[in-house]
Amino acid sequence: MKLSAKLIYFITGSKLAIVLLFILSMPFLVASIASEYTNYSLRDQQRKALDKVHKAGIDYYLQGDDSYGSYTMLKEEYVAIEPAAPELLIDTIKTVERIVEGDTLSYRVLNHTFKAKDKNYLLEIGKTVGSINQYNKPLQRIALYVLMGLIALTIVIDLIFTRVLIRPLGKIIESKLLNRKFPFKDQSEPVKTTTQDFKYLDESLISLMDQINVDFEKEREFTANASHELMTPISILQNKMENLLADDQITEDVAMRIVGMMKTLDRLKKISSSLLFISRIENDQFVKLASVKLVDLLEDIKEEISHRLEDKDLTFIIDIKDKVTLKNVNHDLLFQLFYNLINNAIKYNIEGGSVTVTDAVNKQGDYQVFIKDTGIGIASEDIDFIFDRFRKANLSENVGYGLGLSIVKSIAVYHNIDIQVTSIVKQGSTFTITFPRVMLG
Amino acid sequence: MKVLIVEDEKTLAYEMETFLKKAFYLCDLAHTVAQGLEKIEINSYDFILLDLGLPDGDGLSLLPKAKKHNPEAAYIILTARGNLEDRITGLDLGADDYLAKPFSLLELQSRMQAIARRKFNVKEEAVPLGEFSIDLQKRLVQYKEEQIELSRKEYDLLSYLFLHKNRVLTRMQLSEHIWGTFADDDYDSNYIDAHIKNIRKKLNLWAPTEWLETVRGVGYRIKK
Repeated sequence: MKLSAKLIYFITGSKLAIVLLFILSMPFLVASIASEYTNYSLRDQQRKALDKVHKAGIDYYLQGDDSYGSYTMLKEEYVAIEPAAPELLIDTIKTVERIVEGDTLSYRVLNHTFKAKDKNYLLEIGKTVGSINQYNKPLQRIALYVLMGLIALTIVIDLIFTRVLIRPLGKIIESKLLNRKFPFKDQSEPVKTTTQDFKYLDESLISLMDQINVDFEKEREFTANASHELMTPISILQNKMENLLADDQITEDVAMRIVGMMKTLDRLKKISSSLLFISRIENDQFVKLASVKLVDLLEDIKEEISHRLEDKDLTFIIDIKDKVTLKNVNHDLLFQLFYNLINNAIKYNIEGGSVTVTDAVNKQGDYQVFIKDTGIGIASEDIDFIFDRFRKANLSENVGYGLGLSIVKSIAVYHNIDIQVTSIVKQGSTFTITFPRVMLG
Repeated sequence: MKVLIVEDEKTLAYEMETFLKKAFYLCDLAHTVAQGLEKIEINSYDFILLDLGLPDGDGLSLLPKAKKHNPEAAYIILTARGNLEDRITGLDLGADDYLAKPFSLLELQSRMQAIARRKFNVKEEAVPLGEFSIDLQKRLVQYKEEQIELSRKEYDLLSYLFLHKNRVLTRMQLSEHIWGTFADDDYDSNYIDAHIKNIRKKLNLWAPTEWLETVRGVGYRIKK
């Protein structure tokens, strides 16, 4: 779930919970407020009544009778004064049930004793509770509507706000992680944000990438230097062996051993120069300004490699559009890329098999070349590693030094060409080379 | 022909000297830019083989000065740096060729011969090869007046062997000459064998080719 969605769900959930709690507790709140108010008004009535008694005397109410009682018309309130025992002293407010004209009504009743003309009287003022509680339901409903409306409004505001708040995170991921091509040569701009946490994340990523760059640069430098430094000693050995082989005094047996040594040295030489070649590609030491007509390039390769095709009695079919020209490429590198792939298609092929080169334009308008062979195929567990250095899919045969596809990959990365492989063991592999549309001349 | 080898790796310089002497070149050695300049000022050379990474400076810096004293000479740059800029700068400064280390001495000699043909207008008549004749200038092999149809690679093989006659060339050396350094990771000798077989077959139609020897376990040789 997205962070913004999570935030919205959480915020809305908590709001709903609080509103629900409020609405549920509303009757109690209303009841307690109402009873406070009732108590207050009862006391007020008491004060007024006692005031009257004080000013006009008890007869203002009693009118000569023993007691006094008065109900409002709807029996919502009543006042009663009656004589009480002289020692009786009460002053309470409580809720009691009264039966008035057959109806059981709940009253909030104030009882208060007071003295008038040396006599003790009991003042009783009542107010129905029903008249208070009847407002609870509508109140709750209105509160519910109002609060729901408010929640809806705040959700909209929250949505907008969280989106704005979280936007830098998306930007950081997009600019620092997704749209970056290794190695990260271009210095990336810090993402603008006032959120401290995002700033921290952004800075951490920038410094992490700088670190990766520094290390990668070092590794590259090392590969370049090491393979370069090996060239001189290899040179010396090779030339010494060449001279030695030309020596008239050596026997046939010695000559054969020298050839053995030369083979080993040649292997060392090819590994070093392949590594050096890869590091030169990675260091941008090749100019990409050539336009290459693909058919011509493939025909050149076919000629160059024909002896291997014949050797295995392979059919080699080039079926691609005549007009296709690729621009902004390095001719030699592109040649090497196709050469290595086709060479592999031959090397891992079966006797009498075929190698087919076809093309297509995909939905995005990018140009694709397919190199399909009928060879031994690549096991699915190996397929992810075939472009790694010194990785050989088929170790049982002496097939090479494991740098051919690494070179292909370096050239592809350098030209922004994508290479995908699909393969079925014992049936063959297909390499799909995708050239971005902009490379079509 | 006179050759100056400017190379700070002494062992390497001696190996080149040994090889070139056998091919009847006269060699001088210099191990620094200063020594190189000194020799160039005194002597006149046909070939100057120039290493780029010298202890007292870049070989490229020597090139313009050397050209002043010795404009006729052919300059071949030898370097382990092998990057493109060096190559371009070197050729811009007037170098005639460029060889990346490690190179085969056979290749060096073949390049020198090619330059000699081109630059010094060394007119080479067709030279006899058994009962055949080979014209390196026109890239032709003939039997009497009849031209023998060889593929480009077959001719390259034969002329390379001829250039280094009386010397056994290994299959590796031959395949490197023909397919270059991009002769990828397997120097499969079968292909050389197949080519030699074809050459023999084509030539044998006209005359015997016993001068083209197979040296067991080593390679091939043209004996003369």
